[in-house]
Amino acid sequence: MFKIMIVEDDQKIAQLLCAHLERYGYQAFPITDFNRIMEQFGDVQPDLVLLDVNLPKFDGYYWCRQIRLQSSCPILFISAREGKMDQVMALENGADDYITKPFHYEVVLAKISSQLRRAYGSYAAPQKERTIEAAGLLLYPERLKLSYREQTVELGAKESALLQSMMERLDRVVSRELLLNQLWDDQVFVDDNTLNVYITRVRKKLKDLGIENAIETVRGSGYLLRVTWEA
Amino acid sequence: MTLKLFLRDHAYLLPMFAIQIGVSILVYWLAGNQNIWIALYIVLLSACLLLLFLTYRYWRLSRFYRRVSTPMTKLDDAMQSLGDAPLATALDELLRSQYGQCQGQIHAYERRIRDHANFINQWVHGMKTPLSVIHLTIQEEDDPIFHSIREETDRLRRGLETVLYTSRLGSFEHDFHVEPVDLTSIVRAVIRENKAYMIRNRVFPEVQVDPSYRIYSDEKWLGFLLGQIVTNAIRYSDKPDSKISITGRIRGKDILLEVKDHGVGIPSQDLKRVFAPYFTGENGRVFSESTGMGLYLVRQICDRLGHRVELESQVGVGTTVRLYFSQPYTDVR
Repeated sequence: MFKIMIVEDDQKIAQLLCAHLERYGYQAFPITDFNRIMEQFGDVQPDLVLLDVNLPKFDGYYWCRQIRLQSSCPILFISAREGKMDQVMALENGADDYITKPFHYEVVLAKISSQLRRAYGSYAAPQKERTIEAAGLLLYPERLKLSYREQTVELGAKESALLQSMMERLDRVVSRELLLNQLWDDQVFVDDNTLNVYITRVRKKLKDLGIENAIETVRGSGYLLRVTWEA
Repeated sequence: MTLKLFLRDHAYLLPMFAIQIGVSILVYWLAGNQNIWIALYIVLLSACLLLLFLTYRYWRLSRFYRRVSTPMTKLDDAMQSLGDAPLATALDELLRSQYGQCQGQIHAYERRIRDHANFINQWVHGMKTPLSVIHLTIQEEDDPIFHSIREETDRLRRGLETVLYTSRLGSFEHDFHVEPVDLTSIVRAVIRENKAYMIRNRVFPEVQVDPSYRIYSDEKWLGFLLGQIVTNAIRYSDKPDSKISITGRIRGKDILLEVKDHGVGIPSQDLKRVFAPYFTGENGRVFSESTGMGLYLVRQICDRLGHRVELESQVGVGTTVRLYFSQPYTDVR
């Protein structure tokens, strides 16, 4: 499991980041004592460091240089400053990338995994595969597979994203907004009609596994996944 | 001009001179020296002396008079020397002290403005942390309440951004860097930033920008001004499921980027003033969140970056904003 050290003086942000990273299979270590960052770095020996720029006493650039004296692990800056000079400063002081506040979890996770892949190779220390489980229905978002009892079907990336959102919120209405947010990427701007198409496809995949009427349409707000199958 | 002022300044000498000559001749005349030639000789001699005196005086004070008769074009003009006549040096000193006073006050104000800009900068960055905390805390939540909170935090974020960029506009010269920029990636970044806003308002972008388009601009400022145009387009798209088309085209030597919405449009009487600061017009009274700063900032930034901006609108049909960029020179080797 990769170890990630979080150097962020806002306790709440540090906690939220920790919780989220741990959900995605990383081991997170928030710094609590900003006078002893290097000691804690030595104790933890993290694989990656998330570093804020504004810190008590010394700034993030200083600590970045200190860490670089000991280690070449990836360092990602997280800062509210979005100026070009701040980013240049960060990179010149040895950072690998820069994330500006307010940030999205997806961006942080994507940058972390790309840095880890670059630094340690894609097969180094494989993490435990993520699975989402709902009453015996198993989703493997990294392999785009869905299985129930002995059967398995392949999913498209968008179908997997849709199912994941709904399985994580079992028996609750998932809003169209949230689903559209999941489906949008830089190239494809999915609208309501296309969302319907994807939902139809997901229903068909579930039917292939022998599950019917699990996805309910809630008029005017979204969709709902109800356990209509036997666990 | 200089000579005229000099002569006008010395005009009083002529009647004085005439009276003096008149009195002298009268005294001689009454004393019995009634020779017309001698009287004329006195007049001639005195006139010569006067002329000599005036010439000398003009020579001495010409710099002073030239200076006094030409207006100052800049504050530094006050520091030019006026010559060494006593009057000139006295004025010199006066101007210098006035110059010093002005400079002092200007510096004080400049410092105050700079301090203020710094304060705003610090403050906005400080506010981003609590905003991030709210944002992260509710990011995964899907209750209608959280959608509403998210909407408001997005508004706060956009507001802070506008404050930040408005305060930076004053020190623009130190804060921009023009280089060849990839237009597609900027458009994408702006859409990504406004993704939630678009989905919430059920507005969908249609992007048609050739990935090879590169323009001369500053990435950060261009991103901000494009963001202003796109958020306007979203805000004023009143029909659900309407499109915003973002299209790139070559126009002669320039690249044209067009942002077109199918929203409420701008009434024709407001069109002329949309780029004026704090102008919100008819739509501002109907829609909330109109500050009247968006398009003003767009125009200001475009002027500084050397882009041209045009706006066309029709009520009920929509608004089109066009930006013209110059392309970087391509290397033909």
